[in-house]
Amino acid sequence: MELFPKFFWKTIFSVIVLPAGLMKVDAQEVVQVDSVLWPVRNGVENLLQGSTAGLRVKSWSGEAGIQSTLNLRGLSMDPTDESTMPMMMVNGVPIVASPSSVTAINPLSYYTPDQIERIEIIKSIDQLAAYGVLAANGAINIVLKEGHTGPLNVTASAFAGTNYLNDFNYRTDAFYDFNTTARREVYRREITHSQQAIIDGGGDFGSYLFGVTNYQDNGAAAETKFTQQSLFLNATYHISNQLKAQFYSNLTLANRKGRYAGEYERGLPRPVLRDEAFFMDDNKNTAQLSSLHLSYQLAPAWSVSSLAGISYEGAKRDFFIPSDVLDGSVRAASAAVKRQLISVNTTVNYRHRFSDRLGLSMTLGNEVRTLDNRITSVDGSRSLEYGGSNFVKVVTGYNAGQTDAWSGHDRENLLSFYGLWNVDFNQDLKVNAALRADASSLYDRKWGFYPAAGASYSFKNTLELPLTVSASVGKTGILSRPEVYRGELTAFGDYFSGNELGIGKLYAAFEDAKSIDVFQVDAGISYAIKDALVLSVNYFDKRYSDFTYRRYLSNIHGLDYRYETGGKLALSGVEVELDGNLIQNDRFQWTANINLASYRNTVEALPEDLGNTSFAYLQALKSGDALTSIIATEGQQAKVIGNSEASLFGGLTNTFRYKGFTLGVGINYALNADVAAESFSSRYTASQVDGVFPLKTAETPYYFVEEDAGGNTVYQGIRSIEDGSFIRLSRAVVSYQLQSLLRGLPIRQAELFVRGDNLLTWSTYSGFNPEENITGIRRIDLSSTGMPLPSSVVLGLKLVL
Amino acid sequence: MNMMNKTKQRITYWPIGLLLLGTLASCSDYLTLDELDNRTVAEGYYTSTQRVEQAVIGGYVDLRRALLTNHAWLMYGEARAGELQVEVAYYPMVANQQLTVADRQLARLADWEYFYDVVYDANEVLRLIDEVNSDVLSTYHYNLFKGEALALKSMAYFYIARIWGIVPSAEKSDFGQPMDETSAVERAAGFAREAYGLLPWMLLNDDQIESAAVTAVRFNKTAAAILLTQENLWLDNDVEAYEVMAGLAIEERADSLSDFGLAMGKDERENITEDPLGSSMVSISAANLAAIYPAGDARQGTLFRLSADEKKATFIVRDQERLDLLTKNECYLLLAEAAWKTGKLEEARIRLMEAADGATEDYSELGEGEFADALLRERQRILIGSGQRFFDLKRFNKVSAYLPVFSEADIQNGAAYWPLAQRSLNGNGLTQHSYWSHE
Repeated sequence: MELFPKFFWKTIFSVIVLPAGLMKVDAQEVVQVDSVLWPVRNGVENLLQGSTAGLRVKSWSGEAGIQSTLNLRGLSMDPTDESTMPMMMVNGVPIVASPSSVTAINPLSYYTPDQIERIEIIKSIDQLAAYGVLAANGAINIVLKEGHTGPLNVTASAFAGTNYLNDFNYRTDAFYDFNTTARREVYRREITHSQQAIIDGGGDFGSYLFGVTNYQDNGAAAETKFTQQSLFLNATYHISNQLKAQFYSNLTLANRKGRYAGEYERGLPRPVLRDEAFFMDDNKNTAQLSSLHLSYQLAPAWSVSSLAGISYEGAKRDFFIPSDVLDGSVRAASAAVKRQLISVNTTVNYRHRFSDRLGLSMTLGNEVRTLDNRITSVDGSRSLEYGGSNFVKVVTGYNAGQTDAWSGHDRENLLSFYGLWNVDFNQDLKVNAALRADASSLYDRKWGFYPAAGASYSFKNTLELPLTVSASVGKTGILSRPEVYRGELTAFGDYFSGNELGIGKLYAAFEDAKSIDVFQVDAGISYAIKDALVLSVNYFDKRYSDFTYRRYLSNIHGLDYRYETGGKLALSGVEVELDGNLIQNDRFQWTANINLASYRNTVEALPEDLGNTSFAYLQALKSGDALTSIIATEGQQAKVIGNSEASLFGGLTNTFRYKGFTLGVGINYALNADVAAESFSSRYTASQVDGVFPLKTAETPYYFVEEDAGGNTVYQGIRSIEDGSFIRLSRAVVSYQLQSLLRGLPIRQAELFVRGDNLLTWSTYSGFNPEENITGIRRIDLSSTGMPLPSSVVLGLKLVL
Repeated sequence: MNMMNKTKQRITYWPIGLLLLGTLASCSDYLTLDELDNRTVAEGYYTSTQRVEQAVIGGYVDLRRALLTNHAWLMYGEARAGELQVEVAYYPMVANQQLTVADRQLARLADWEYFYDVVYDANEVLRLIDEVNSDVLSTYHYNLFKGEALALKSMAYFYIARIWGIVPSAEKSDFGQPMDETSAVERAAGFAREAYGLLPWMLLNDDQIESAAVTAVRFNKTAAAILLTQENLWLDNDVEAYEVMAGLAIEERADSLSDFGLAMGKDERENITEDPLGSSMVSISAANLAAIYPAGDARQGTLFRLSADEKKATFIVRDQERLDLLTKNECYLLLAEAAWKTGKLEEARIRLMEAADGATEDYSELGEGEFADALLRERQRILIGSGQRFFDLKRFNKVSAYLPVFSEADIQNGAAYWPLAQRSLNGNGLTQHSYWSHE
């Protein structure tokens, strides 16, 4: 493999200006951003909610600046949202998209709808395989607007309005058992507003678009706030007839004040004080995405292309609980995370038509990615006896004896080669093939190979039927987390007056580590009725195998666990989408999109001796049961009491236009997800009830078996198991084009609009928001439970000069 | 115009060259990351003496966890014998030999995991000192670390054998194979013997100067000799026990001898006490104190402080930084015992008198038949607080004599051992001592 010495590679890396055309993958579905209903709340995932069959966006928390969960045919044994999140790209550049662990600010909020031309949703395997090992859970590519041809265009828009908790009853609030009085005071109407200006233009030289955004969302609780400012530039330059360059840059500052009544006091020993506005929880992100795309047409059939990108996010949190809550001592913590993803993707493209009937396009590419994450945190507590500003002293290590500092650093290099082949025949048959080889610096066995092939056939010419059928099959993979591969040493403690630090092995490196294999089959049909109505039905089946898990060792090993691979999961589903321009005439237009998806996930196989592994919590499941089952105990038997995933979900969007008026209504829904609510009153230490869970009237006979902080076994009763089905009026837009009223002014377009988010929810769920529990369990400590989701209404104006 | 053409030419060719470089940039270098800064990773970490030393110290910290968690060293020793009292809820169960009561802290005491952590740490050190580059460790450090690892391992096995009586091997050659008490102690003695040969009398500090403070919290030749002798006496290898101890007793050796104890410090696990003999936790009743030290015994006042109401006494902790485990004081006791057991009664008496400085008894006329009792008594008085009492009762076959709750038959059925934890039974295919399985 030593094809080149190291300095060559360094030269390449330092001179990112590589030759030029990104690999071209036809997205399965494309969301034209100007044609969907824009939400008030920022975040690309919120923009996509309900728009595409199979894309599930859960509005789990009403806290401003928090990411909604995003899933696109994703499944994992690792029960985190990050592990099932699709790969996110901006103009083809992979980005840091999941919220950092310290600030939880949503990186998808850095790109406002005004900047985005379209969003490509990539689901089928023949297209996903091209993206390799990071895209097994689907991929989403955000394509940004370029400047319009012509002289200067100025677009300015602004809106302002209010967030409110519609029909809010504190008893339906998940936090109802904590500091009720304060929360009734704290939840209130708050403002949200945004301003944006974009200047664009274009000509033979290329095009430019730059702009600035300011956004503020105060959520629906006092003392919380999310603000964000972005400065962005998207420029293309035709250096010659053959050579084209595109540069994009986005710098975002985002701040989140996360304090609110009820968030912190649950873990504190002291009674809660008023509205807790004296807590400090400041979160700040600085994010930068820069990309450079060069494409060069070597000859009519040949082109080369290179796309380099740097996605960076610095996130910092300062947290402080004062002494009057903690009985004379303060608690303060400060943490900073830096994440960066550098990628360079270089391709050679060949397009040739052998005849009118037969065409070929081929791409051969090389991609390198470097992920580099660092964290530094300081966590300390200190009494007030020395006076002064405790927070500052503690976090800077003034009193090091009481301060813990921690620093971590993860790096991973990925190297990939890939080839894509597309053949079209008679304009009826299209055949795609992809082969990708990915290598990670984490693996001992470096290379993974991911082949895929697909075909689609249109019956338009042969049978004069507006019917297209397609099928694809292939394989891709998911990397396990970095810590698995290398083993880890841990510090045990001080020795000899703190002069020496004892270390030992926490676990051994897992030399046989490999990526999770994902084998996928897709099939679909699409039927167009008079071009006005397109019905498409897609089926997929994904098989996951070789998850990494911990095997707990007996107590003579000196290590608590080692890693192994095993386990098989399956995810299959049907997605149906109906797009229609139902009425199109000069005065009135009606467009509609209806989509639904029905999924089923199952556990196919689990490792032997499951009870001694980190998958032990799945012991109650048989082959064929859902991975997302909610498992509880009844008597002494573990059993499945529900499924936290909806069996059917989707959206419905209708847009009506009459003269200058537009009315848009967006609905999203999810059916048959269960929610198990833990009981605040039936919680017992096992030893105190002699190991028998006492049944309580009006509660279920089920309970969870947990361990408390002191290591005691605890039985946590379940108050109710509810149906979390809901239908939500998630968007509504009314707008009026009033440029006709502004004749004589240099205004090309003027639009007055009213937008609303989450206006109505129909559900039998007893809490405030049926999607507020990420795991499907409303825990008494409210972990993984979000703040109440507010409704929002804003009034705004958009002007194009 | 001419210039434009040139520019165009350059534009035509430079991308091709760079493209070739980019496409072929598949160095394996790129896929091999150097050690990450700011991070302690298992692979490639041990690149200096100090780093290897950290691993050795990890063994001591695990030994400290094994012995200090829940005041284990006393629970297995003087607390179980009912002589020292520990202010924890489960102490009465231990003192009353109710060791199978469902209690989380008792279950923790029944688990030998920390001792096996010490064995694992020691084996890791033995593996890595042979794997690191030869320029990393000097001969002194190689021998020191090897000796320390062997001594730590020896001590861990010795504790496990005496406490539980069944000892699965954690050695590569026969991993998981259970050993009985005797074969485990024989193995432990083998490690201690090797350590004794390797360890220096005095250890060097970071400035390469002999340091009494460092020597007292790390295994040194004295400590290895005491450990080896304890094990030899347990095995009735009396001749070697005598030879080793006699080697320490020579006058020119006196300045080289050192105590050995656990250094106190902050453990990452918060439940590890930094004040193990602190007065709020450990005490002795006035009655026990009087029974152990008769009126006039000079040692009582140097070891204990009576409370104001004179109902109990607490330890006078001389060194807050260290909990002594193997002390020079014990050398005379061990030498006396070895001499007695090898038929040198006269020398045994002299050594016992040297050890029992401050006692009221006159041991100069001690007969063969009385020697064992006298020795046991003096070991109790001198070594109190070091956790050896219950092991001594066991070694002298006096458990049922001192603890009437156990009959001789109970002892035969394993009552003097600590019951095996459920984790130990399930995970390692072992069976419980018959006495405890019927409890």
